[in-house]
Amino acid sequence: MARQFNRRDFLKLTSLAASSLALLKLAPRALNARAQGDKTRPNIVIFVFDAMSARNLSIYGYPRATTPNLEKFAAQATVYHAHHAGGNFTTPGTASLLTGMYPWTHRAINEAGLVARALTGRNIFSLLGGQYQRTAYSQNMWPNYLFEQFVGGIDTVLPPSSFSAVEQIVGENFPKDRGDAYRAFDEFLFQDGTPPASLVFGLIARLFLRRQAIFAQTSEYDRGLPRTGNYPIYFKLDEVFNGMTGAVAKLAAPYFGYFHIWSPHAPYKPSKAFENLFDDNWKPVKKPMHRFGNKLAYTELNTRRRNYDEYIANVDDEFGKMIETLRSQGKLDNTTVIVTSDHGESFERGVDGHITPLLYEPLINVPLVIAAAGQKQRQDVTTPTSCIDILPTVLSMGGAPVPDWSEGRILPGLGGSYDPQRSIFSVEAATNPAFAPLKVASIAMRKDKYKLIYYTGHGPRDIFELYDMEADPEELTDLYPGKPPFAQALKDELLSKLAAANAPYQKK
Amino acid sequence: MGILKRFPGRREIAALYGVIVLIIYSWTLVWFFWKFPSWINYLSIWEIVKAFCISVSTNLFESLAVVALPVLLAAILPQAWFRKEFVARAVVLVAGGLGYMMYLATFFQGKEDYPSDAIQLVPWVALVLMLAVFLVGKSGFVCKAINAFAERATIFLYLYIPLSLICLLVVLAVLVF
Repeated sequence: MARQFNRRDFLKLTSLAASSLALLKLAPRALNARAQGDKTRPNIVIFVFDAMSARNLSIYGYPRATTPNLEKFAAQATVYHAHHAGGNFTTPGTASLLTGMYPWTHRAINEAGLVARALTGRNIFSLLGGQYQRTAYSQNMWPNYLFEQFVGGIDTVLPPSSFSAVEQIVGENFPKDRGDAYRAFDEFLFQDGTPPASLVFGLIARLFLRRQAIFAQTSEYDRGLPRTGNYPIYFKLDEVFNGMTGAVAKLAAPYFGYFHIWSPHAPYKPSKAFENLFDDNWKPVKKPMHRFGNKLAYTELNTRRRNYDEYIANVDDEFGKMIETLRSQGKLDNTTVIVTSDHGESFERGVDGHITPLLYEPLINVPLVIAAAGQKQRQDVTTPTSCIDILPTVLSMGGAPVPDWSEGRILPGLGGSYDPQRSIFSVEAATNPAFAPLKVASIAMRKDKYKLIYYTGHGPRDIFELYDMEADPEELTDLYPGKPPFAQALKDELLSKLAAANAPYQKK
Repeated sequence: MGILKRFPGRREIAALYGVIVLIIYSWTLVWFFWKFPSWINYLSIWEIVKAFCISVSTNLFESLAVVALPVLLAAILPQAWFRKEFVARAVVLVAGGLGYMMYLATFFQGKEDYPSDAIQLVPWVALVLMLAVFLVGKSGFVCKAINAFAERATIFLYLYIPLSLICLLVVLAVLVF
């Protein structure tokens, strides 16, 4: 029989409710106070320079002095010499960096692609947690699609048009669903690079944009204002870096900032001060044309390479100024600064740019320089590392647990150790359906000093190439045709990894 | 009332609008199906449907903006110049104008240049269109043919306008409210 609800019960219940309400009110303040008072957590800021190949940076021994400021910055940082991107273009490279998973796992493998919907919770922003003020910015539109997938874990997403001279991004005006708006308006109806799918509005908008760009042109940029690729954003490098300096300065500690800068991605538009900086007649190693290349002549590639190098030097100069400003303002105290790229750029074997199935080092060997909070001396790590290692490393720095599903490891020199048995992978599968077995793909596997490249679906038969990266860093001598004894084991390992990655998508 | 009489009738506007809708929606649909194979690689059906809805809603506003121009011209210009044989003349004007826009749009494949050469043609295109609009009104056969075509094009309104309104509701729900 139910007990009767008496006056004493009523008083107990009301006092319990009142104290619960008071606790609820106080809890956020307490959490906030904990966050504000938490001086043990370092701020973490990642600068990603789009399409910056480590092979073109003087910090890694390139003969042209492209990165004097990065070298200066590295005097108190850890420099990774064999760091590899997850893929050879923005979407897989960035998604791997942000999720700590290989492209064949996260499946953001197509241009403007997305992470598998079931895996969107696995990202660096969400995992760092609300203790950090998390900010994301990308001039390149494609990472913005990923930000929209991770939006629950990001406190502030700066629009891609921020710090621009001229822009016409429509999607950012629809905060309720920017991902869909970007795709429909900026990727389709008003897309640059192809005739706009919106015949009237798209054409008129594009005419206005071009006019505005002409009016914004200054003598500072003889070759035209820097701009992004398929999206209507024109900018001046100094304004972008000044904007980022201001954005970082405004962040409240502890903060996590991800800043993805378009430059030095093509079109290469250095400012006047950097034009013809490398008019030096230096000639890189001549490499044979590749069957999957676009057969560009060696001289033409060298001209483009020179423009690219000049653009890198311009970016490096602005980076140096930004770091100096932030340091002088004390904004980098107790802050870990990570400098890296999402993928590289090729000027060899008849291939320019990075829209290619090839996975040679210029396309996937990217810079990684980490100035950990309080670090006073430079250290160099020459063992192979992958962009998927950044997520566990950042989580460990931020005091967050590293999830067991992470395919990356804490970087050597920052708490991790080198494992010669470990293989790392870069995957290119831009034309393969995202949620299907990879049948048209290129995969590079680096294990200790060996690198195996596998091309499948690009021709009538599969192709393997094998290089000894210590003896042959330019990848000129393919060891695979000689069938060395270790080749079969490497091949078996790569194919078994691919089969495991494909397994969830195989039809039963 | 006097001013209203200067505007073309509903049937005439509908006939013209049918032609405009046919051109504008077809252009977008062609590009949509060009894009579709890459989208299907990584987007869900719902995400593609949303992109389609945004595109079709934009087409609705584009087509309304375009149809407003000849209707206003009919009201402003002397009746003999444009109001008389409105459908034939307006169809020639609009089809010619949109055709030129398609030609211009192809110049935007390059990402760098302002299409100065194509833009310089604007006065000549305007002159040719004015001449065509004038001449078409003089030929009964051409007027009849265009009227017949435009009347048949109204069938597209029954398809595209309800579709656009549904898409607009989806867009409002997804992007705005």
